[in-house]
Amino acid sequence: MEHLFTNLATALTGWMITLGLSPVWADVILLLVKWIIIITIITLNIIILIWLERKVSAFFQERLGPNRLGPFGIFQTIADAIKLLTKEDIVPSAADKLIFKTAPMFFIVVAVMLYTVIPMGQGMEVINLNIGLLFFISMGSLSTIALLMAGWGSDNKWSLMGAVRSVAQMISYEIPLAFSLLGVVMISGSLNLQDIVAAQDNIWFVILQPIAFLTYFIAATAELNRGPFDMPEAEQELTGGAYTEYTGMRWALFFLAEYTNLVAVSALMATVFLGGWQGPWLPSWLWIIIKTYGVILVFFWVKWTFPRIRMDHLMSFSWKVLVPVSLGNILLTGAGIYFCQWMGWC
Amino acid sequence: MNGQGLIKGLGITLKHFFQKEITEQYPDVMPELATRFRGCLQFEFEKCIACGICVNSCPNNVLSFETEKSENSKKKKLLSYTIDFQYCMFCNLCVEGCPKDCLHFDHDFELSTFSRDDIKRVYLRPAEMDEEKEADAAPVQDEQESKEQKQIDAMLKALQKNPQKILAKMLEQEEDIGILSELMQSNEKTAGKIAELLVKDKEKAAKVAAGFVTKEKKNRLQAEKGGEE
Ligand code: SF4
Ligand code: SF4
Repeated sequence: MEHLFTNLATALTGWMITLGLSPVWADVILLLVKWIIIITIITLNIIILIWLERKVSAFFQERLGPNRLGPFGIFQTIADAIKLLTKEDIVPSAADKLIFKTAPMFFIVVAVMLYTVIPMGQGMEVINLNIGLLFFISMGSLSTIALLMAGWGSDNKWSLMGAVRSVAQMISYEIPLAFSLLGVVMISGSLNLQDIVAAQDNIWFVILQPIAFLTYFIAATAELNRGPFDMPEAEQELTGGAYTEYTGMRWALFFLAEYTNLVAVSALMATVFLGGWQGPWLPSWLWIIIKTYGVILVFFWVKWTFPRIRMDHLMSFSWKVLVPVSLGNILLTGAGIYFCQWMGWC
Repeated sequence: MNGQGLIKGLGITLKHFFQKEITEQYPDVMPELATRFRGCLQFEFEKCIACGICVNSCPNNVLSFETEKSENSKKKKLLSYTIDFQYCMFCNLCVEGCPKDCLHFDHDFELSTFSRDDIKRVYLRPAEMDEEKEADAAPVQDEQESKEQKQIDAMLKALQKNPQKILAKMLEQEEDIGILSELMQSNEKTAGKIAELLVKDKEKAAKVAAGFVTKEKKNRLQAEKGGEE
Protein backbone atom coordinates (compact mmCIF):
# COMPACT_ATOMS: atom_id res chain seq x y z
CA MET A 1 0.00 0.00 0.00
CA GLU A 2 2.71 2.42 1.00
CA HIS A 3 4.34 2.55 -2.41
CA LEU A 4 1.16 2.14 -4.44
CA PHE A 5 1.37 5.41 -6.32
CA THR A 6 5.16 5.62 -6.62
CA ASN A 7 5.23 2.07 -8.01
CA LEU A 8 2.50 2.96 -10.45
CA ALA A 9 4.51 5.96 -11.65
CA THR A 10 7.71 3.91 -12.11
CA ALA A 11 5.75 1.23 -13.94
CA LEU A 12 4.25 3.85 -16.24
CA THR A 13 7.67 5.37 -17.06
CA GLY A 14 9.15 1.92 -17.61
CA TRP A 15 6.31 0.99 -19.94
CA MET A 16 6.76 4.18 -21.95
CA ILE A 17 10.50 3.58 -22.29
CA THR A 18 9.88 0.05 -23.55
CA LEU A 19 7.59 1.60 -26.14
CA GLY A 20 10.67 3.40 -27.47
CA LEU A 21 10.18 6.83 -25.89
CA SER A 22 13.27 8.66 -24.72
CA PRO A 23 13.42 8.96 -20.90
CA VAL A 24 13.01 12.77 -21.13
CA TRP A 25 9.72 12.47 -22.97
CA ALA A 26 8.57 9.75 -20.60
CA ASP A 27 9.20 12.16 -17.72
CA VAL A 28 7.28 14.94 -19.43
CA ILE A 29 4.31 12.64 -20.02
CA LEU A 30 4.47 11.46 -16.41
CA LEU A 31 4.41 15.08 -15.29
CA LEU A 32 1.32 15.66 -17.42
CA VAL A 33 -0.36 12.62 -15.93
CA LYS A 34 0.44 13.90 -12.45
CA TRP A 35 -1.14 17.26 -13.28
CA ILE A 36 -4.26 15.66 -14.64
CA ILE A 37 -4.54 13.54 -11.51
CA ILE A 38 -4.06 16.60 -9.31
CA ILE A 39 -6.71 18.60 -11.13
CA THR A 40 -9.14 15.69 -10.93
CA ILE A 41 -8.46 15.26 -7.25
CA ILE A 42 -8.91 18.98 -6.65
CA THR A 43 -12.24 19.08 -8.44
CA LEU A 44 -13.60 16.00 -6.71
CA ASN A 45 -12.22 17.21 -3.42
CA ILE A 46 -13.99 20.54 -3.79
CA ILE A 47 -17.31 18.77 -4.24
CA ILE A 48 -16.77 16.89 -1.00
CA LEU A 49 -15.41 19.95 0.77
CA ILE A 50 -18.32 22.21 -0.06
CA TRP A 51 -20.71 19.51 1.09
CA LEU A 52 -18.61 19.06 4.23
CA GLU A 53 -18.54 22.75 5.01
CA ARG A 54 -22.28 23.04 4.62
CA LYS A 55 -22.82 19.99 6.78
CA VAL A 56 -20.34 21.10 9.44
CA SER A 57 -21.66 24.65 9.57
CA ALA A 58 -25.16 23.21 9.92
CA PHE A 59 -24.10 21.05 12.82
CA PHE A 60 -22.50 24.02 14.53
CA GLN A 61 -25.85 25.77 14.32
CA GLU A 62 -27.88 22.68 15.25
CA ARG A 63 -29.28 22.38 11.77
CA LEU A 64 -29.26 19.40 9.45
CA GLY A 65 -27.59 20.89 6.39
CA PRO A 66 -28.17 19.43 2.94
CA ASN A 67 -30.09 16.18 3.40
CA ARG A 68 -32.36 15.76 0.40
CA LEU A 69 -30.17 14.69 -2.52
CA GLY A 70 -28.72 11.25 -1.97
CA PRO A 71 -27.61 9.82 1.35
CA PHE A 72 -26.85 12.71 3.74
CA GLY A 73 -27.34 15.11 0.84
CA ILE A 74 -23.99 14.14 -0.65
CA PHE A 75 -25.12 14.93 -4.21
CA GLN A 76 -26.17 18.46 -3.32
CA THR A 77 -22.88 19.96 -4.52
CA ILE A 78 -23.14 18.11 -7.81
CA ALA A 79 -26.57 19.59 -8.33
CA ASP A 80 -25.14 23.01 -7.48
CA ALA A 81 -22.31 22.50 -9.93
CA ILE A 82 -24.78 21.61 -12.70
CA LYS A 83 -26.81 24.67 -11.83
CA LEU A 84 -23.76 26.91 -12.00
CA LEU A 85 -22.64 25.39 -15.30
CA THR A 86 -25.98 26.05 -16.93
CA LYS A 87 -26.33 29.61 -15.66
CA GLU A 88 -26.11 32.57 -17.97
CA ASP A 89 -22.66 34.07 -18.24
CA ILE A 90 -23.05 37.81 -17.75
CA VAL A 91 -20.24 40.22 -18.52
CA PRO A 92 -21.08 43.79 -17.49
CA SER A 93 -20.99 46.13 -20.47
CA ALA A 94 -18.78 48.62 -18.65
CA ALA A 95 -16.33 45.96 -17.49
CA ASP A 96 -12.79 45.73 -18.73
CA LYS A 97 -13.54 42.53 -20.63
CA LEU A 98 -10.04 41.07 -20.87
CA ILE A 99 -9.19 41.58 -17.22
CA PHE A 100 -12.67 40.56 -16.13
CA LYS A 101 -12.48 37.27 -17.99
CA THR A 102 -8.89 36.34 -17.16
CA ALA A 103 -9.15 37.03 -13.42
CA PRO A 104 -10.94 33.77 -12.46
CA MET A 105 -8.65 31.71 -14.68
CA PHE A 106 -5.60 33.33 -13.18
CA PHE A 107 -6.92 32.70 -9.69
CA ILE A 108 -7.52 29.01 -10.25
CA VAL A 109 -4.21 28.49 -12.06
CA VAL A 110 -2.32 30.09 -9.19
CA ALA A 111 -4.24 27.94 -6.73
CA VAL A 112 -3.46 24.74 -8.60
CA MET A 113 0.23 25.69 -8.83
CA LEU A 114 0.45 25.47 -5.05
CA TYR A 115 0.14 21.69 -5.26
CA THR A 116 3.37 21.39 -7.20
CA VAL A 117 5.57 21.26 -4.12
CA ILE A 118 3.40 19.67 -1.46
CA PRO A 119 4.63 16.19 -0.61
CA MET A 120 1.58 14.00 -0.75
CA GLY A 121 3.34 10.96 0.60
CA GLN A 122 6.76 9.44 0.75
CA GLY A 123 8.44 10.50 -2.49
CA MET A 124 5.14 11.75 -3.85
CA GLU A 125 5.35 15.27 -5.14
CA VAL A 126 5.10 16.73 -8.59
CA ILE A 127 8.48 18.46 -8.39
CA ASN A 128 10.96 18.05 -5.59
CA LEU A 129 11.94 21.70 -5.44
CA ASN A 130 14.75 22.74 -3.11
CA ILE A 131 13.02 26.07 -2.45
CA GLY A 132 9.59 24.51 -2.15
CA LEU A 133 8.44 26.56 0.80
CA LEU A 134 9.49 29.83 -0.82
CA PHE A 135 7.71 28.79 -4.01
CA PHE A 136 4.56 28.06 -2.06
CA ILE A 137 4.56 31.41 -0.26
CA SER A 138 5.22 33.42 -3.40
CA MET A 139 2.60 31.53 -5.42
CA GLY A 140 0.12 31.99 -2.60
CA SER A 141 0.56 35.74 -2.60
CA LEU A 142 -0.09 35.89 -6.35
CA SER A 143 -3.78 35.28 -5.76
CA THR A 144 -3.98 38.91 -4.58
CA ILE A 145 -3.40 39.97 -8.15
CA ALA A 146 -6.30 37.83 -9.34
CA LEU A 147 -8.60 39.44 -6.82
CA LEU A 148 -7.38 42.90 -7.77
CA MET A 149 -7.98 42.08 -11.44
CA ALA A 150 -11.50 40.91 -10.66
CA GLY A 151 -12.25 44.00 -8.60
CA TRP A 152 -10.80 46.44 -11.08
CA GLY A 153 -12.17 44.74 -14.16
CA SER A 154 -15.73 44.62 -12.86
CA ASP A 155 -16.04 48.42 -12.82
CA ASN A 156 -18.17 48.23 -9.70
CA LYS A 157 -17.54 50.06 -6.47
CA TRP A 158 -18.24 47.02 -4.32
CA SER A 159 -15.86 44.93 -6.36
CA LEU A 160 -13.15 47.54 -6.19
CA MET A 161 -13.64 47.98 -2.47
CA GLY A 162 -13.35 44.22 -1.98
CA ALA A 163 -10.23 44.13 -4.14
CA VAL A 164 -8.61 46.99 -2.26
CA ARG A 165 -9.38 45.32 1.01
CA SER A 166 -7.98 42.02 -0.15
CA VAL A 167 -4.76 43.64 -1.33
CA ALA A 168 -4.29 45.49 1.93
CA GLN A 169 -5.11 42.39 3.93
CA MET A 170 -2.96 39.99 1.99
CA ILE A 171 0.09 42.23 1.91
CA SER A 172 -0.16 42.75 5.65
CA TYR A 173 -0.60 39.08 6.46
CA GLU A 174 2.01 37.88 4.00
CA ILE A 175 4.69 39.13 6.38
CA PRO A 176 3.72 37.24 9.55
CA LEU A 177 2.93 34.24 7.36
CA ALA A 178 6.47 34.12 5.97
CA PHE A 179 8.07 35.03 9.30
CA SER A 180 6.26 32.28 11.15
CA LEU A 181 7.54 29.71 8.68
CA LEU A 182 11.07 31.05 9.11
CA GLY A 183 11.40 29.45 12.53
CA VAL A 184 10.71 26.04 11.02
CA VAL A 185 13.19 26.68 8.24
CA MET A 186 15.85 27.64 10.80
CA ILE A 187 15.41 24.40 12.70
CA SER A 188 15.21 22.09 9.73
CA GLY A 189 17.85 24.04 7.82
CA SER A 190 16.07 23.59 4.50
CA LEU A 191 13.38 25.09 2.28
CA ASN A 192 12.68 21.73 0.71
CA LEU A 193 9.39 20.43 2.03
CA GLN A 194 10.49 16.78 1.94
CA ASP A 195 13.47 17.74 4.12
CA ILE A 196 11.17 19.57 6.52
CA VAL A 197 9.00 16.48 6.81
CA ALA A 198 12.05 14.35 7.38
CA ALA A 199 13.22 16.73 10.12
CA GLN A 200 9.99 16.00 12.02
CA ASP A 201 10.92 12.36 12.35
CA ASN A 202 11.15 12.52 16.14
CA ILE A 203 9.06 15.50 17.10
CA TRP A 204 6.50 17.59 15.23
CA PHE A 205 7.28 21.26 14.74
CA VAL A 206 3.98 22.23 16.32
CA ILE A 207 5.57 21.34 19.65
CA LEU A 208 8.88 23.07 18.92
CA GLN A 209 7.22 26.10 17.34
CA PRO A 210 3.81 26.62 18.99
CA ILE A 211 3.89 30.40 18.53
CA ALA A 212 4.79 30.03 14.88
CA PHE A 213 1.98 27.53 14.46
CA LEU A 214 -0.53 29.94 15.92
CA THR A 215 0.65 32.96 13.93
CA TYR A 216 0.73 30.88 10.77
CA PHE A 217 -2.81 29.67 11.40
CA ILE A 218 -4.10 33.21 11.90
CA ALA A 219 -2.21 34.63 8.96
CA ALA A 220 -3.34 31.73 6.76
CA THR A 221 -6.97 32.36 7.67
CA ALA A 222 -6.52 35.94 6.52
CA GLU A 223 -4.68 34.83 3.38
CA LEU A 224 -7.52 32.48 2.52
CA ASN A 225 -10.13 35.21 2.96
CA ARG A 226 -11.94 32.97 5.35
CA GLY A 227 -14.04 34.02 8.29
CA PRO A 228 -13.47 35.84 10.59
CA PHE A 229 -11.15 37.59 8.13
CA ASP A 230 -13.39 37.42 5.05
CA MET A 231 -13.40 41.17 4.57
CA PRO A 232 -12.76 41.07 0.80
CA GLU A 233 -16.00 39.17 0.26
CA ALA A 234 -18.07 40.36 3.18
CA GLU A 235 -21.45 39.45 1.71
CA GLN A 236 -23.27 41.62 4.21
CA GLU A 237 -21.34 44.83 3.53
CA LEU A 238 -19.86 44.41 0.07
CA THR A 239 -22.43 42.11 -1.58
CA GLY A 240 -19.67 39.66 -2.40
CA GLY A 241 -16.69 42.01 -2.82
CA ALA A 242 -14.59 41.28 -5.88
CA TYR A 243 -17.00 38.54 -6.97
CA THR A 244 -20.05 40.81 -7.09
CA GLU A 245 -20.31 40.98 -10.88
CA TYR A 246 -19.45 37.38 -11.59
CA THR A 247 -22.06 34.81 -12.52
CA GLY A 248 -22.29 31.16 -13.37
CA MET A 249 -19.09 29.28 -14.01
CA ARG A 250 -16.82 32.29 -13.68
CA TRP A 251 -18.04 32.81 -10.17
CA ALA A 252 -17.76 29.09 -9.53
CA LEU A 253 -14.11 29.23 -10.58
CA PHE A 254 -13.42 31.73 -7.81
CA PHE A 255 -15.21 29.50 -5.40
CA LEU A 256 -13.25 26.51 -6.64
CA ALA A 257 -10.00 28.40 -6.30
CA GLU A 258 -10.79 29.46 -2.76
CA TYR A 259 -11.36 25.89 -1.69
CA THR A 260 -8.31 24.78 -3.63
CA ASN A 261 -6.29 27.35 -1.70
CA LEU A 262 -7.83 26.12 1.52
CA VAL A 263 -6.74 22.55 0.86
CA ALA A 264 -3.29 23.65 -0.21
CA VAL A 265 -2.71 25.81 2.84
CA SER A 266 -4.06 23.10 5.14
CA ALA A 267 -1.80 20.55 3.47
CA LEU A 268 1.17 22.87 3.93
CA MET A 269 0.27 23.33 7.54
CA ALA A 270 0.09 19.58 8.02
CA THR A 271 3.41 19.22 6.24
CA VAL A 272 5.30 21.93 8.05
CA PHE A 273 3.89 21.65 11.55
CA LEU A 274 2.14 18.30 11.91
CA GLY A 275 4.75 15.90 10.63
CA GLY A 276 3.55 15.74 7.04
CA TRP A 277 3.02 12.26 5.71
CA GLN A 278 4.75 10.67 8.68
CA GLY A 279 2.68 8.44 10.88
CA PRO A 280 2.40 4.88 12.05
CA TRP A 281 0.50 1.94 10.51
CA LEU A 282 -1.30 3.75 7.70
CA PRO A 283 0.32 4.52 4.32
CA SER A 284 1.90 7.96 4.07
CA TRP A 285 -0.52 9.36 1.50
CA LEU A 286 -3.43 8.50 3.79
CA TRP A 287 -1.76 10.25 6.69
CA ILE A 288 -1.38 13.53 4.84
CA ILE A 289 -5.03 13.34 3.78
CA ILE A 290 -6.16 12.74 7.37
CA LYS A 291 -4.02 15.58 8.72
CA THR A 292 -5.10 17.97 5.97
CA TYR A 293 -8.74 17.28 6.62
CA GLY A 294 -8.16 17.74 10.33
CA VAL A 295 -6.73 21.21 9.71
CA ILE A 296 -9.59 22.01 7.32
CA LEU A 297 -12.10 21.08 9.98
CA VAL A 298 -10.39 23.46 12.39
CA PHE A 299 -10.64 26.18 9.73
CA PHE A 300 -14.37 25.45 9.45
CA TRP A 301 -14.73 25.50 13.20
CA VAL A 302 -13.07 28.92 13.45
CA LYS A 303 -15.07 30.34 10.56
CA TRP A 304 -18.40 29.29 12.02
CA THR A 305 -17.57 30.51 15.50
CA PHE A 306 -16.21 34.02 15.16
CA PRO A 307 -17.90 37.06 13.69
CA ARG A 308 -16.11 39.07 11.03
CA ILE A 309 -13.77 41.65 12.55
CA ARG A 310 -13.45 45.26 11.47
CA MET A 311 -11.03 46.24 8.72
CA ASP A 312 -8.92 48.59 10.86
CA HIS A 313 -8.78 46.04 13.66
CA LEU A 314 -7.64 43.50 11.15
CA MET A 315 -4.80 45.70 9.93
CA SER A 316 -3.66 46.79 13.35
CA PHE A 317 -3.76 43.19 14.55
CA SER A 318 -1.41 42.20 11.79
CA TRP A 319 1.09 45.03 12.17
CA LYS A 320 0.94 45.53 15.92
CA VAL A 321 0.56 41.95 17.12
CA LEU A 322 1.37 39.30 14.56
CA VAL A 323 4.48 40.89 13.02
CA PRO A 324 6.20 41.59 16.37
CA VAL A 325 5.21 38.19 17.72
CA SER A 326 6.55 36.33 14.70
CA LEU A 327 9.74 38.41 14.79
CA GLY A 328 10.10 37.58 18.46
CA ASN A 329 9.61 33.93 17.60
CA ILE A 330 12.48 34.08 15.13
CA LEU A 331 14.68 35.65 17.78
CA LEU A 332 13.66 33.00 20.29
CA THR A 333 14.29 30.19 17.83
CA GLY A 334 17.70 31.59 16.94
CA ALA A 335 18.62 31.89 20.60
CA GLY A 336 17.37 28.36 21.20
CA ILE A 337 19.41 26.93 18.38
CA TYR A 338 22.50 28.80 19.55
CA PHE A 339 21.93 27.55 23.10
CA CYS A 340 21.46 24.04 21.82
CA GLN A 341 24.72 24.14 19.86
CA TRP A 342 26.52 25.67 22.81
CA MET A 343 25.35 22.84 25.01
CA GLY A 344 26.36 20.35 22.33
CA TRP A 345 22.89 18.81 21.97
CA CYS A 346 22.74 19.30 18.28
CA MET B 1 -6.23 37.16 29.79
CA ASN B 2 -6.72 38.30 26.22
CA GLY B 3 -8.14 35.68 23.92
CA GLN B 4 -9.96 33.78 26.62
CA GLY B 5 -13.24 34.70 25.00
CA LEU B 6 -12.12 33.20 21.71
CA ILE B 7 -11.48 29.83 23.32
CA LYS B 8 -14.79 30.06 25.16
CA GLY B 9 -16.54 30.76 21.84
CA LEU B 10 -14.90 27.78 20.22
CA GLY B 11 -16.04 25.68 23.14
CA ILE B 12 -19.61 26.84 22.74
CA THR B 13 -19.76 26.00 19.05
CA LEU B 14 -18.15 22.64 19.70
CA LYS B 15 -20.78 21.89 22.29
CA HIS B 16 -23.52 22.75 19.82
CA PHE B 17 -21.84 20.60 17.19
CA PHE B 18 -22.64 17.48 19.18
CA GLN B 19 -26.11 18.52 20.27
CA LYS B 20 -29.22 17.22 18.59
CA GLU B 21 -30.44 19.17 15.59
CA ILE B 22 -33.53 21.25 16.16
CA THR B 23 -34.58 21.36 12.52
CA GLU B 24 -38.19 20.34 12.00
CA GLN B 25 -38.61 17.98 9.11
CA TYR B 26 -41.93 19.42 7.96
CA PRO B 27 -43.75 18.18 5.83
CA ASP B 28 -42.22 14.74 6.37
CA VAL B 29 -42.82 15.09 10.07
CA MET B 30 -45.54 17.34 11.37
CA PRO B 31 -44.35 19.85 13.93
CA GLU B 32 -45.54 19.63 17.48
CA LEU B 33 -47.75 22.63 18.14
CA ALA B 34 -48.47 24.35 21.41
CA THR B 35 -51.96 23.81 22.77
CA ARG B 36 -52.85 27.45 22.26
CA PHE B 37 -51.53 27.55 18.70
CA ARG B 38 -53.80 29.59 16.45
CA GLY B 39 -54.31 27.78 13.20
CA CYS B 40 -57.55 27.92 11.27
CA LEU B 41 -60.62 29.64 12.72
CA GLN B 42 -63.51 27.24 13.13
CA PHE B 43 -67.18 28.08 13.66
CA GLU B 44 -69.92 25.97 15.22
CA PHE B 45 -73.23 26.87 13.68
CA GLU B 46 -75.51 25.11 16.18
CA LYS B 47 -74.24 27.05 19.17
CA CYS B 48 -74.33 30.55 17.66
CA ILE B 49 -77.03 32.90 18.87
CA ALA B 50 -76.33 35.58 16.26
CA CYS B 51 -75.48 38.18 18.89
CA GLY B 52 -72.91 39.92 16.68
CA ILE B 53 -70.25 40.34 19.35
CA CYS B 54 -67.67 38.60 17.19
CA VAL B 55 -68.43 40.84 14.22
CA ASN B 56 -68.07 43.93 16.35
CA SER B 57 -64.88 42.81 18.02
CA CYS B 58 -63.03 41.89 14.85
CA PRO B 59 -60.66 44.72 13.89
CA ASN B 60 -60.30 43.53 10.31
CA ASN B 61 -63.92 42.91 9.36
CA VAL B 62 -63.27 39.28 8.78
CA LEU B 63 -66.57 38.06 10.12
CA SER B 64 -70.11 38.68 8.93
CA PHE B 65 -73.44 36.87 9.10
CA GLU B 66 -76.96 36.98 7.76
CA THR B 67 -80.06 36.61 9.89
CA GLU B 68 -83.78 36.42 9.37
CA LYS B 69 -86.41 37.46 11.85
CA SER B 70 -89.29 35.04 11.95
CA GLU B 71 -92.79 36.52 12.50
CA ASN B 72 -93.90 34.58 15.50
CA SER B 73 -90.72 34.67 17.57
CA LYS B 74 -88.36 37.41 18.70
CA LYS B 75 -85.29 35.25 18.10
CA LYS B 76 -83.13 36.03 15.12
CA LYS B 77 -82.56 33.08 12.89
CA LEU B 78 -78.96 32.71 11.65
CA LEU B 79 -78.96 31.94 7.96
CA SER B 80 -75.25 31.99 7.08
CA TYR B 81 -71.96 32.85 8.70
CA THR B 82 -69.00 34.03 6.64
CA ILE B 83 -65.32 34.03 7.59
CA ASP B 84 -63.27 35.98 5.06
CA PHE B 85 -60.10 34.45 6.36
CA GLN B 86 -57.62 36.32 4.18
CA TYR B 87 -57.85 39.39 6.41
CA CYS B 88 -57.61 37.57 9.72
CA MET B 89 -54.59 38.44 11.83
CA PHE B 90 -55.18 35.73 14.42
CA CYS B 91 -55.68 38.23 17.23
CA ASN B 92 -58.15 35.95 19.01
CA LEU B 93 -60.51 38.83 19.87
CA CYS B 94 -63.51 37.15 18.30
CA VAL B 95 -62.85 33.93 20.18
CA GLU B 96 -62.56 35.79 23.46
CA GLY B 97 -65.71 37.78 22.82
CA CYS B 98 -68.07 35.02 21.85
CA PRO B 99 -70.39 34.23 24.77
CA LYS B 100 -71.32 30.81 23.42
CA ASP B 101 -67.82 29.53 22.51
CA CYS B 102 -68.77 28.94 18.92
CA LEU B 103 -65.46 30.20 17.59
CA HIS B 104 -62.12 28.55 18.18
CA PHE B 105 -58.77 28.12 16.48
CA ASP B 106 -57.70 24.62 15.54
CA HIS B 107 -54.16 23.39 14.77
CA ASP B 108 -54.41 23.37 11.01
CA PHE B 109 -51.81 25.85 9.73
CA GLU B 110 -51.70 24.78 6.09
CA LEU B 111 -53.98 27.57 5.00
CA SER B 112 -52.85 28.33 1.47
CA THR B 113 -55.38 27.78 -1.28
CA PHE B 114 -55.24 27.79 -5.02
CA SER B 115 -57.64 30.63 -5.55
CA ARG B 116 -58.53 33.71 -3.59
CA ASP B 117 -62.16 32.65 -3.35
CA ASP B 118 -61.32 29.40 -1.60
CA ILE B 119 -60.04 31.21 1.44
CA LYS B 120 -63.41 32.76 2.16
CA ARG B 121 -65.48 30.24 4.06
CA VAL B 122 -69.27 30.41 4.21
CA TYR B 123 -71.17 28.30 6.72
CA LEU B 124 -74.76 27.75 5.64
CA ARG B 125 -77.58 26.87 7.99
CA PRO B 126 -77.55 23.10 8.35
CA ALA B 127 -80.82 21.45 7.25
CA GLU B 128 -81.21 19.43 10.46
CA MET B 129 -81.62 22.64 12.45
CA ASP B 130 -84.72 23.70 10.50
CA GLU B 131 -86.22 20.23 10.58
CA GLU B 132 -86.15 20.26 14.36
CA LYS B 133 -87.88 23.64 14.51
CA GLU B 134 -90.60 22.61 12.10
CA ALA B 135 -91.31 19.55 14.16
CA ASP B 136 -92.53 21.59 17.14
CA ALA B 137 -93.60 25.02 15.81
CA ALA B 138 -94.89 24.78 12.28
CA PRO B 139 -97.80 22.24 12.45
CA VAL B 140 -99.88 24.33 14.90
CA GLN B 141 -99.77 27.27 12.57
CA ASP B 142 -100.82 25.10 9.67
CA GLU B 143 -103.91 23.79 11.44
CA GLN B 144 -105.13 27.30 12.23
CA GLU B 145 -104.56 28.44 8.69
CA SER B 146 -106.39 25.50 7.16
CA LYS B 147 -109.40 26.07 9.44
CA GLU B 148 -109.65 29.67 8.34
CA GLN B 149 -109.22 28.69 4.74
CA LYS B 150 -112.20 26.33 5.02
CA GLN B 151 -114.37 29.08 6.50
CA ILE B 152 -113.35 31.46 3.74
CA ASP B 153 -114.16 28.91 1.09
CA ALA B 154 -117.58 28.33 2.60
CA MET B 155 -118.25 32.08 2.77
CA LEU B 156 -117.23 32.52 -0.85
CA LYS B 157 -119.68 29.87 -1.95
CA ALA B 158 -122.48 31.49 0.07
CA LEU B 159 -121.62 34.88 -1.44
CA GLN B 160 -121.77 33.53 -4.96
CA LYS B 161 -125.09 31.75 -4.32
CA ASN B 162 -126.94 34.47 -2.53
CA PRO B 163 -125.06 37.78 -2.45
CA GLN B 164 -128.01 40.06 -1.63
CA LYS B 165 -128.74 38.44 1.72
CA ILE B 166 -125.21 38.65 3.04
CA LEU B 167 -124.43 42.02 1.60
CA ALA B 168 -127.55 43.49 3.13
CA LYS B 169 -125.86 43.12 6.49
CA MET B 170 -123.09 45.50 5.43
CA LEU B 171 -124.60 47.90 2.93
CA GLU B 172 -127.77 49.99 3.43
CA GLN B 173 -128.94 51.09 -0.03
CA GLU B 174 -130.50 48.61 -2.45
CA GLU B 175 -128.67 50.14 -5.34
CA ASP B 176 -125.27 49.60 -3.72
CA ILE B 177 -126.06 45.95 -3.02
CA GLY B 178 -126.97 45.46 -6.63
CA ILE B 179 -123.75 47.05 -7.86
CA LEU B 180 -121.53 45.00 -5.58
CA SER B 181 -123.18 41.69 -6.36
CA GLU B 182 -122.77 42.39 -10.08
CA LEU B 183 -119.12 43.25 -9.42
CA MET B 184 -118.55 40.07 -7.48
CA GLN B 185 -120.03 37.93 -10.19
CA SER B 186 -117.85 39.48 -12.86
CA ASN B 187 -114.66 39.51 -10.72
CA GLU B 188 -113.77 36.55 -8.52
CA LYS B 189 -110.93 38.36 -6.85
CA THR B 190 -113.23 40.92 -5.29
CA ALA B 191 -115.46 38.15 -4.08
CA GLY B 192 -112.51 36.29 -2.54
CA LYS B 193 -111.31 39.39 -0.80
CA ILE B 194 -114.67 40.18 0.73
CA ALA B 195 -115.20 36.58 1.79
CA GLU B 196 -111.83 36.51 3.53
CA LEU B 197 -112.51 39.77 5.31
CA LEU B 198 -115.97 38.65 6.36
CA VAL B 199 -114.45 35.65 8.12
CA LYS B 200 -111.64 37.55 9.78
CA ASP B 201 -112.92 41.02 10.52
CA LYS B 202 -116.53 42.03 9.80
CA GLU B 203 -116.19 45.80 10.36
CA LYS B 204 -113.29 46.02 7.97
CA ALA B 205 -115.27 44.00 5.46
CA ALA B 206 -118.07 46.57 5.57
CA LYS B 207 -115.62 49.43 4.94
CA VAL B 208 -113.90 47.68 2.10
CA ALA B 209 -117.26 46.77 0.56
CA ALA B 210 -118.32 50.44 0.72
CA GLY B 211 -115.01 51.40 -0.87
CA PHE B 212 -115.56 48.95 -3.72
CA VAL B 213 -119.02 50.37 -4.34
CA THR B 214 -117.91 54.03 -4.52
CA LYS B 215 -115.06 53.07 -6.80
CA GLU B 216 -117.39 51.15 -9.10
CA LYS B 217 -119.83 54.06 -9.16
CA LYS B 218 -117.07 56.43 -10.22
CA ASN B 219 -115.98 54.05 -12.93
CA ARG B 220 -119.49 53.81 -14.30
CA LEU B 221 -119.92 57.62 -14.30
CA GLN B 222 -116.69 58.05 -16.17
CA ALA B 223 -117.67 55.35 -18.66
CA GLU B 224 -120.98 57.19 -19.31
CA LYS B 225 -119.14 60.49 -19.83
CA GLY B 226 -116.71 58.83 -22.18
CA GLY B 227 -119.66 57.40 -24.15
CA GLU B 228 -121.27 60.87 -24.51
CA GLU B 229 -118.15 62.46 -25.80
S1 SF4 C 1 -58.87 36.49 15.16
FE1 SF4 C 1 -59.05 38.71 15.15
S2 SF4 C 1 -58.90 39.26 12.98
FE2 SF4 C 1 -59.28 37.06 13.05
S3 SF4 C 1 -61.52 36.90 12.86
FE3 SF4 C 1 -61.05 36.93 15.06
S4 SF4 C 1 -61.22 39.08 15.65
FE4 SF4 C 1 -61.07 39.03 13.43
S1 SF4 D 1 -70.18 36.14 19.23
FE1 SF4 D 1 -70.49 33.91 19.10
S2 SF4 D 1 -72.70 33.65 19.45
FE2 SF4 D 1 -72.36 35.81 18.98
S3 SF4 D 1 -72.69 35.96 16.76
FE3 SF4 D 1 -70.50 35.66 17.08
S4 SF4 D 1 -70.25 33.46 16.93
FE4 SF4 D 1 -72.40 33.78 17.24
